[in-house]
Amino acid sequence: MAAVCPVGFDRNRLKAEVRATYARVAQDPHGDFHFHRGPEYAARLLGYDFSELRSLPAAATAPFAGVGNPFKMDPLPAGATVIDIGSGAGMDCLLAARRVGRRGQVTGIDMTDAMLERARGAAREDGLDQVRFEKADMTKLPFEAQSVDLVISNGVVNLAPDKPEVFRELYRVVKPGGRLQFSDIVIESGLSEDVRNNIDLWTG
Amino acid sequence: MLQVIEKAGFRNPAVRDFFDSFSGTSKENVARKFGVKGANFIAYK
Repeated sequence: MAAVCPVGFDRNRLKAEVRATYARVAQDPHGDFHFHRGPEYAARLLGYDFSELRSLPAAATAPFAGVGNPFKMDPLPAGATVIDIGSGAGMDCLLAARRVGRRGQVTGIDMTDAMLERARGAAREDGLDQVRFEKADMTKLPFEAQSVDLVISNGVVNLAPDKPEVFRELYRVVKPGGRLQFSDIVIESGLSEDVRNNIDLWTG
Repeated sequence: MLQVIEKAGFRNPAVRDFFDSFSGTSKENVARKFGVKGANFIAYK
């Protein structure tokens, strides 16, 4: 995976394409995309508990388009402050909110209005007070330094044009002793320049 | 990715699990060609 997008690559266009793609997912989660969505996929290929997903609002689960399962790793401690980078329709945030409980706090960050609207509606429907959603760029997080126990994310950092900038910002907000616990894609072979410059492959 | 995470200051970055996230999609062949998979990452501050 390229750590930084190619020289001359239009970062603003990339962000706009990402927003447009995921706005379409939010509006039509069952539409034609080249990546999976939904709770059946999450359970079958990623190991989520299907019965738990069925207990969540469909508004949060239908557009889910993650690539892994952050909850397969270490348990989320009760009372923890958690942020989800690129929270989409909020499925992972709702799962995290149930785990940290009412003494904890979960904040989902996303830059797509349609996803934020879905996520906020799903949180209201699920009756969870300890979760909220904010519009922000993952390189400019609206959090104080050293204020977060745990960062989750699912298939989003690979969409960032400058990954070192993202991880520097995450390091700023995570408390000493805190951790990253996220899912993303890995690419085992080297990519040609043509592939690295193909914006369709960056946005999916 | 692990090097980028470590360079930002995090300790002991590691991959814990892999997922065949693109199996059955229209990009399955491209994913197989380039070895694209989902993965779980962990790192500590």
